[in-house]
Amino acid sequence: MTVTTASKVQGGIFTLMVVRIADPYDPALDRELAEHVALSPGFFADAPVVLDLRDCLGCTSAEDFTALRQLLRRHRLVPVGVQNASALQLRAAKAVDLAAFSGAQANGARRAAPEVAPRPRLVTQPVRSGTQIYVRGGDLVVVAPVSAGAELIADGHIHVYGALRGRAIAGAAGDRDARIFAHRFEAELVSIAGRYLVSEAIAPEHLGAAAQVALIEDRLAILPGWSKG
Amino acid sequence: MGKVIVVTSGKGGVGKTTTSAAFAAGLALRGHKTVVIDFDVGLRNLDLVMGCERRVVFDFINVINGDATLNQALIRDKRIDNLHIFPTSQTRDKDALKREGVDWVMRELRNEFEYIVCDSPAGIEHGALTALYHADAAIIVTNPEISSVRDSDRIIGILAAKSRRAEKRESPVEEHLLLTRYSPERVKKGEMLSVEDVKEILSLPLLGIIPESPTVLKASNTGMPVILDPASPAGRAYEDAVARFIGEQREMRFVLPERRSLLRGWFGRAAS
Amino acid sequence: MSLFDYFFPRKPASASVAKERLQIVLAHERSGRDGTDFLPRLQKELLAVVTKYVAVEEDMIRVSLGKAGNASVLEINVEVPHTAKPTPAHAAPA
Repeated sequence: MTVTTASKVQGGIFTLMVVRIADPYDPALDRELAEHVALSPGFFADAPVVLDLRDCLGCTSAEDFTALRQLLRRHRLVPVGVQNASALQLRAAKAVDLAAFSGAQANGARRAAPEVAPRPRLVTQPVRSGTQIYVRGGDLVVVAPVSAGAELIADGHIHVYGALRGRAIAGAAGDRDARIFAHRFEAELVSIAGRYLVSEAIAPEHLGAAAQVALIEDRLAILPGWSKG
Repeated sequence: MGKVIVVTSGKGGVGKTTTSAAFAAGLALRGHKTVVIDFDVGLRNLDLVMGCERRVVFDFINVINGDATLNQALIRDKRIDNLHIFPTSQTRDKDALKREGVDWVMRELRNEFEYIVCDSPAGIEHGALTALYHADAAIIVTNPEISSVRDSDRIIGILAAKSRRAEKRESPVEEHLLLTRYSPERVKKGEMLSVEDVKEILSLPLLGIIPESPTVLKASNTGMPVILDPASPAGRAYEDAVARFIGEQREMRFVLPERRSLLRGWFGRAAS
Repeated sequence: MSLFDYFFPRKPASASVAKERLQIVLAHERSGRDGTDFLPRLQKELLAVVTKYVAVEEDMIRVSLGKAGNASVLEINVEVPHTAKPTPAHAAPA
């Protein structure tokens, strides 16, 4: 006789976005969320998020969380749990089916600590047409050529120690200080923090040599070589 | 309401993208507001053939996923008024063509354009089925070669069974045979299936014969639809086909080998 | 090869061989395309469903597609034995 089970429990490790909430009723929150999501709607569409309550004194009733959930849903974000919540906040969160995630730091250290930057992702193989590499929250370093039709995306900087012929999208989560460096710059498209340039708009003298791309006064600038910009 | 034309073949490498580009350009040159869509997700090439690869920012999949609007993704051709190119994604696969999303895009395009030319991927899987689903007319691109004819026959069967028109029991998709890479010289020698053979086997009305011509490669090298090259026999043949498609009568050309004197032939060979 | 063979080849040209081969293979493939290719599968699945409730043998279910005027008629015949018993697996729990 075969035994079938209705469910199977397996472990899984996921990267979740964390939204830090100070005051759930602050109108600025709505605006800031909208700005953030508008930078790259694709990444945020129906993304699960954890609410970090380390700076939040409110959010002590189930109604607060219901209102917060509605606000996030309007921006197509799906709250799945809370982090760094007080006992009272945690009880209210559980009442509306939000899970408790363990805090970023050990209990007690509730105030902000310096963030540790994640290690950059290193790619040593050629990045072929049709491939997409995304480094969430960090830098991307490629020591091989990147073909036309390939796509590099990073929340931080992108370094290519080879020919960059595909697309490079740095500061994908909105970091305006992110830059793109290419040993041989022939990109199809470059973008930083939502601003972009297609190759047609790139002056031909920038092509074929080392270059970096930076966002200067809200415009993408292509700087030859490794100058400070 | 715009008319949706799918350019399909089953087999790869027979000239679907060249035909889509030439056909869309031909319709636009005649003043019809036309868009040509690349359905070959993951193997984008229409942008190259149309010469707009340096202007692609957003694509079909971005629009389906709601990351960009239709107008952001449509690329206006710089040479021909009324012609727009709708590129596809290179980094995704064909499963990203979600049914509801494609339905919505096609509805919007029908409202906006007179002709919507869909460049189908090869094969008979999801991508090809999605491309032909909305078709009002189909151009079956066939090479005079057994594997291509057999695959065309297969895709004609699929059109009759799986298109939206078949599903909704509307009048069937209008089918046209376009014979490409045709070499009258080789037909004469008995090395290649003739127009009559292919017509008889597939029993489809013939829209045109596109002769094998080096100008097709030259056109795609330079990113210019071959129909824009007045010196190209293939370009003239496409122009004829477009004219027939919209109801004009045109005599079939390129059926017989070009008459050349023996002398010219010899000189031609010596010069090449 | 004689000069005669050269000018009057006896072998048919390859294009006409191609045409013949194509006609044969397409005639075969088209015959399977009129929609009846699902019948064996339908029969199998019906059998699976019916045997859940009544003990029947494979040959007691017949499926055929016929024509009546303009309409196609799908005919399904299930022969149920007089002494049909519910299949044990689906008997009511004791």
